[in-house]
Amino acid sequence: MPSFFNSWLPFIYLYVGGGLFFLAGLILIRKTKAIDMRLKRDRFWWKAMIFGFFYFMAIHAFLIIAALYL
Amino acid sequence: MEQIHNIGSELDWIVLVIYMVAMLLFGSYFAKYNKDTNDFFFGGRRFTWWLIAMSIVATGISSHSFVKYSAMGFKYGFSSSMSYMNDWFFVPFFLFGWLPIIIYSRIKSIPEYFERRFSPSARFFVTILQLTYLVGYVGIGFLTMGKAIMPLMPEHFTIFGFEIHVTLMGLIWVTAVITGIYITFGGQTAVIFTDLVQGLMLLFAGLMVFVVGVYYVGGWDSFWHLLPASWKLPFAGFNSPAEFNSVGTFWEDGIAGSVGFLFMNMGLIMRFMATKNVHEGRKAATINILFMLPISAIVVGGGGWVAKAISVKFPSLLPPDVNPDSVFVVVSNIITGPGVFGFVIAAIAAALMSTVSTLLNATAAIWVNDVDRPIRIWLKKINREAPVDEKRAMVVARTSTVAFTVLGVLAVYAFNSYPTVYQAHAFFHATLTPPLMIAIFFGAFWKKFTPAGLITTVIGGIAFMLLGNRYPLELIGPLAHGTPYDPVHPFTYMAALYNLIVCTGVAVLVTLSQNKLKHFAAKIKKNPNHTAIMYSMVVFSVVVVLIDILDAIFIFKIGSLGILFWATIFASAFVALITTFYVKYNAEAQTTGLTVWSIHKAKEWFKGRKLNEREGEIIKINWKLNESDDNDVINFSKKDMHKMSAEKGDLVYISDARKWLGGLKSCHSTYGEPHNEDGIVYLRKLHLGKGLFVEGKILEAEKEM
Repeated sequence: MPSFFNSWLPFIYLYVGGGLFFLAGLILIRKTKAIDMRLKRDRFWWKAMIFGFFYFMAIHAFLIIAALYL
Repeated sequence: MEQIHNIGSELDWIVLVIYMVAMLLFGSYFAKYNKDTNDFFFGGRRFTWWLIAMSIVATGISSHSFVKYSAMGFKYGFSSSMSYMNDWFFVPFFLFGWLPIIIYSRIKSIPEYFERRFSPSARFFVTILQLTYLVGYVGIGFLTMGKAIMPLMPEHFTIFGFEIHVTLMGLIWVTAVITGIYITFGGQTAVIFTDLVQGLMLLFAGLMVFVVGVYYVGGWDSFWHLLPASWKLPFAGFNSPAEFNSVGTFWEDGIAGSVGFLFMNMGLIMRFMATKNVHEGRKAATINILFMLPISAIVVGGGGWVAKAISVKFPSLLPPDVNPDSVFVVVSNIITGPGVFGFVIAAIAAALMSTVSTLLNATAAIWVNDVDRPIRIWLKKINREAPVDEKRAMVVARTSTVAFTVLGVLAVYAFNSYPTVYQAHAFFHATLTPPLMIAIFFGAFWKKFTPAGLITTVIGGIAFMLLGNRYPLELIGPLAHGTPYDPVHPFTYMAALYNLIVCTGVAVLVTLSQNKLKHFAAKIKKNPNHTAIMYSMVVFSVVVVLIDILDAIFIFKIGSLGILFWATIFASAFVALITTFYVKYNAEAQTTGLTVWSIHKAKEWFKGRKLNEREGEIIKINWKLNESDDNDVINFSKKDMHKMSAEKGDLVYISDARKWLGGLKSCHSTYGEPHNEDGIVYLRKLHLGKGLFVEGKILEAEKEM
């Protein structure tokens, strides 16, 4: 069984490290009004961006669990 | 490692040649859509998201190719997919920052953005970096292709009595000639449409190899249980081995590579510029990252995964010391029959052609816009406002494509020393991406970032990077997260983190010191010897950077680390001061519409008048020709304009209603005076010329903004 160091730690590092860049991007586009939340189209993109982050997180988590326990 | 030769059959070669000829003919058909450089480079800004998304797949897959990911998949397992599943973090910056900026500012190249945002000198430095980046990328593509085709070739053959030994570089030169011909005549439209076919082909071929391979070892259960748990994890070990680890891949690929590919790869940027509008560009990028990249991870890594399973179950079939870079080709030959194997190799060839053609088209665009024209202006052969001489520009575009094809092959020599293509590519990303990445990022997202900050990032940042390359243990070691030290290729991945830190540090420090720099510059200006003072600073900086280069490249021992480090700090400070002294910069004028803080203004400039952001419908109409004038306006009925929420003067996009054309027959224009004939649109001859609309075919129209 692979250790935590080689299974879940890369996952945590990726989503905490990458998550900081992602969050900075979300905050910046809201703060600069580059995304206009009054527009239906832009509201869709806001949700799509957040969905994407958790979508990849879920895929990776599933693959780790499958490798370790299936 | 053993180099395999002579695999495959005559039928495979026939399939490969037929495929290549078919692609050349298919690509040349679209040459008729190249009316000017706008068409040649940007495909006339007309295409829909799915066409661009598929084109990006074809472009992306070759550079992160079958060869290198199958090699890593064979050695380390499913973790070869890491690079395809870590690209989401910069999506907000791209979709709502960089993408609208490049489209609304109507730039033709990334260096042009830097001239408008900073100064002509900034454009000069960024042009050099961009061309180096793109030529390096072309080199990686050629190296990949050569390594993929090598196993098919005999060790030597005889023509007209001459015995010719097949070498990797010889093979690469032949590949380059074929690819160069293909892109030189086709242009962007040819690239996009051949990419559609090639993208589908390579997705199919890669998935087929994986599925057939799984069946070959006895089905999914057998495949799954043949592999150890550590091999099935989606991540490599956290910080080991040196040649492939998670933390290194995060910084080199997830950060530097993702930004490099999405933000500064001019080839990819030109794809987005070819979309009909920003919204379609967003859709293309999102679908590509969310769905196409995970599929691509299986497509390119699957060959290596099944190779591993085969080597466990049938060790006699796959030599244990097989060259990892050949594993995809070898395993494809084992599991597929004659002819089918030829198709798989043709798909790899397609992948290379689509990537390299994109990059060569991009280098030509940069040469035409950022080197040829500025030099002609500088030589006073044309003035700054002179319109583009389209005929001459097309000749220059095609000639430069040939020249950069040759340079791309020469770049292969630099990468060929790495044991795998994966490591060569990692070194390339870690080294070339950070300065340009910081330049683009701070330029687009930080209003305070100045020309001094930018130019010092490029020169000073690179000088510090060279120091890191010379003294890796001392400078990169403390940031390496415990990754092992390989003395031949030290910290190939973690160098990206060090390079990002030094470039960011230089950029931030210089920008925050801007007032002090202005103060010093003003003081020097008052000194009667200011010219001598500035020249001595230039000489000092040039000498220090040259010593850094000599130290890094030739491993000379000129000065100790401490002396060089401090000398580089002083040289960077002088570069910042020299730039502040000489470069004229109007912060207000040169940031408006060019940073994320003023996207709204950029949109207004793009449109040329106040925005109308009411969301309207897409309508279907018949067209008639208005021959009374040739103004660039299109006339709809009042009712149709109401449906589209459009007003006179708004921008309109009109296309053939057949979706499968992907916007090939389309054009942009402006709404003119409305009429009363509902369902009819009046076009001019120029719209027919651009859109190549067919008589009797229904059109679709939508308000662009």
